Amino acid sequence: MAPSDTTHRAAAALRAAHDDPLLHARDWAARGRPVVGYVGADTPVELITAAGALPVRLTGRPGRDTRRARAYLDGAVDPHTVNLLAGLLAPEGPALDLLVLTHDCDASVQLFHTLRELRRIRAEELPPFHFADLLHLPGEATRRYNLRGLRRLADQLGAWRGAALTPAELEEAVAAHNTARAARRELRGRRAAELSGADALRWYTAGTVMPPGLYARTLTEALSAPGTPPPGRPLLLSGSAHDTAAVYDTLEAGGWRVVGDDHDSGDSADQPPVTEPTLEGLAEHYTREVRPATARTARERAGAAAAGVKEGRAEAFLCYCRRHDDAHRWDFPAQRAAAPVPSALLHDQPYGEIDTTGLDALSDRPATEVAS
Amino acid sequence: MTGRQRLAAAGAALSHQREWFAGTRAEAERGRPLALVNADAPQEIFRAMDVPYVVNQWWASIISAKRMSGRYLEALRGRGLPDDIEQYSALPLAEALAPRADDAPWGGLPRPSLVLAECTGDSMRRMFGLWESELGVPFLPLESAVAENVPTEWWTLMRHDWESAVGPARIDLLEQELRALVPRLEELTGAAYDPDRLAEVMALSNEQAEWNRRTRDLLARAPRCPVPVNDVIPAVMIPQWHRGTRWATSAAENLYREVSALVEKDHAVVEDERRRLMWIGRGLWFDMNFYRSFEESHGAVFVWSMYLALAADAYARYGEDPLRALAARFCAFRDQMYTPPWSVEWYVKEAKEHRVDGVVHLISPDSRSSWFTTHALEAAGVPVLEIRADNADGRSLDPSALHRQVADWIRALP
Ligand code: SF4
Ligand code: SF4
Repeated sequence: MAPSDTTHRAAAALRAAHDDPLLHARDWAARGRPVVGYVGADTPVELITAAGALPVRLTGRPGRDTRRARAYLDGAVDPHTVNLLAGLLAPEGPALDLLVLTHDCDASVQLFHTLRELRRIRAEELPPFHFADLLHLPGEATRRYNLRGLRRLADQLGAWRGAALTPAELEEAVAAHNTARAARRELRGRRAAELSGADALRWYTAGTVMPPGLYARTLTEALSAPGTPPPGRPLLLSGSAHDTAAVYDTLEAGGWRVVGDDHDSGDSADQPPVTEPTLEGLAEHYTREVRPATARTARERAGAAAAGVKEGRAEAFLCYCRRHDDAHRWDFPAQRAAAPVPSALLHDQPYGEIDTTGLDALSDRPATEVAS
Repeated sequence: MTGRQRLAAAGAALSHQREWFAGTRAEAERGRPLALVNADAPQEIFRAMDVPYVVNQWWASIISAKRMSGRYLEALRGRGLPDDIEQYSALPLAEALAPRADDAPWGGLPRPSLVLAECTGDSMRRMFGLWESELGVPFLPLESAVAENVPTEWWTLMRHDWESAVGPARIDLLEQELRALVPRLEELTGAAYDPDRLAEVMALSNEQAEWNRRTRDLLARAPRCPVPVNDVIPAVMIPQWHRGTRWATSAAENLYREVSALVEKDHAVVEDERRRLMWIGRGLWFDMNFYRSFEESHGAVFVWSMYLALAADAYARYGEDPLRALAARFCAFRDQMYTPPWSVEWYVKEAKEHRVDGVVHLISPDSRSSWFTTHALEAAGVPVLEIRADNADGRSLDPSALHRQVADWIRALP
């Protein structure tokens, strides 16, 4: 079946959502509906949806003036997070009605502490915000702690909108996000054979800024006709998460094709459905299934590297680390040992960019480490 | 009267530490279980089980002092692991991965039976995980939880009202984790946990904290600073790693009595004390004499140490249930020193109580919330000199330029 107009239109809509992450937020705000920004790959978006708001993951914008944000968020903090703070200090889109942050990595925690202190000393105008401290060790104590945190967030959202969340609202929200999960799973299964890495990332990213039901329909439509893979040597990408396709575009212009990625904005967005549409069900899901890269062990990430190389028939493995997002580097030797293809580590990379000079090594030698 | 003789308490602590380590090492070589525990983890649980433990950061300081860091970090690099993030905490791991040699500091750290750490930041869990994956040493991780809201004046609440200062969610979490940890520790070490023992350990460590508080208050109020700050550090820190023993509690008491006698004799580090200074941030480990180099020339003395102040305010937790009190001691430990509003308001309070004329604020890449610290101090009327350094090993700081900068700033102080 040839790709139809609607398939093309769906693909264009996903691309538009990635290119202009506040597109849908503006639309919602214009209709008088609340928009809740969020930071953190493990944000329980169902609760935000159940509160009648649109959850919109905040994205950075390479090129933003980050000087003021850098003064507050000093030291070895991921420039991506500094960029998010810069966006909050000088909002270019509709004002957020609320902001939710989680503990998906240390930089998000630093951002939360910075916002909390800016609010306390009244140094900046900020939207109201909440912090959901979801943790991810496998023990029962963690699950109970998360359940309590989710209850608290649900109560806060209820207080914020003036009416408690109802079980029916939660059930509906879980169903909507489950359809988005199912569509993402399809994307994950087909991306290697049918899409450029940059498009796959754009399509994942669109899911963090669009209403879940609309996203599921649009993504399913975009996937309704088989695509043809662009040329390029298949590459599996690990390390820092990407909230824009900039680095992918550079890699793919340089002759690579990203067939899989294990970071928090890529294939890790593939999750099983939430089985119980209750806070208990969400606690289970967000403790055990939605685990940010920092919550996975080196062994798990090595296993994912081996499986990803196989599934995507990758010919090379790359761990890309942004400056000050270094924790991935501890896992690289295990990933390198598990991936049966040449591998490279690039660290100290600037936000939204990649210095590809070190990648030549991927063509012949079995393993290498390069810093820009 | 002025003088430069070393505190007896410091000398006693240093020799105790050597003796203790030699004994612990010998026992471990004979097969007694040994734990390696991160600095901000609940070591008291090991004390209550009579399982000897070495504190990761203390051992790292010994490796650094013996100038073995370079060689050990090489072992990390050789495996493709990073040698430039959290290097300090990684040194004991690096040593364990490096080839064994005769020149290991203090004979070297025996292979631990287990390692325990809280998953702070993004690296700790991965770094400690390598003990398990590379060396087969079981790693027991604990969560590092974050509270949404905290009351500001933690130092007035922590000793008794920790439930409200920290909040029950974080305390419950660590308490439950500790309850789950105990059988695992028993299985790994063959030792038995005794809640009554833990109650004693908590009582002793609270008593130690009270002595430290008296010493800190004494130093804050003394008309002139009676003792150089770098002398106080080992006298406080080494007993800290022995929390919950009679030796540690007596060591803290002896330090108090010694400082108290100096104050009574009107002993002063600088006869003509004109400037009282506070140092915030990483210590200049490579140049401890720096702190003392403004005494004769400027009548300026550093009067405050983060280590004593933390020992005074951050540890004491009273309560019926020792395990819960222990959880409350550690589940928010780092917030006390690193997270605003706790950290910044505490610095302001300490600056005022110590009547400092100015603060030197060293900002390294791993500093947290430094803008807020400087802002709060300046808002409280305390002059601040910010120094930016890329690392604390001296490579990024030119000592003479730094000395000149601080000297000029002292001269210009109001
Ligand atoms: S000063 Fe910092 S690094 Fe050193 S032991 Fe204390 S917490 Fe750890
Ligand atoms: S603080 Fe104490 S234990 Fe740490 S290096 Fe200094 S003397 Fe040694």
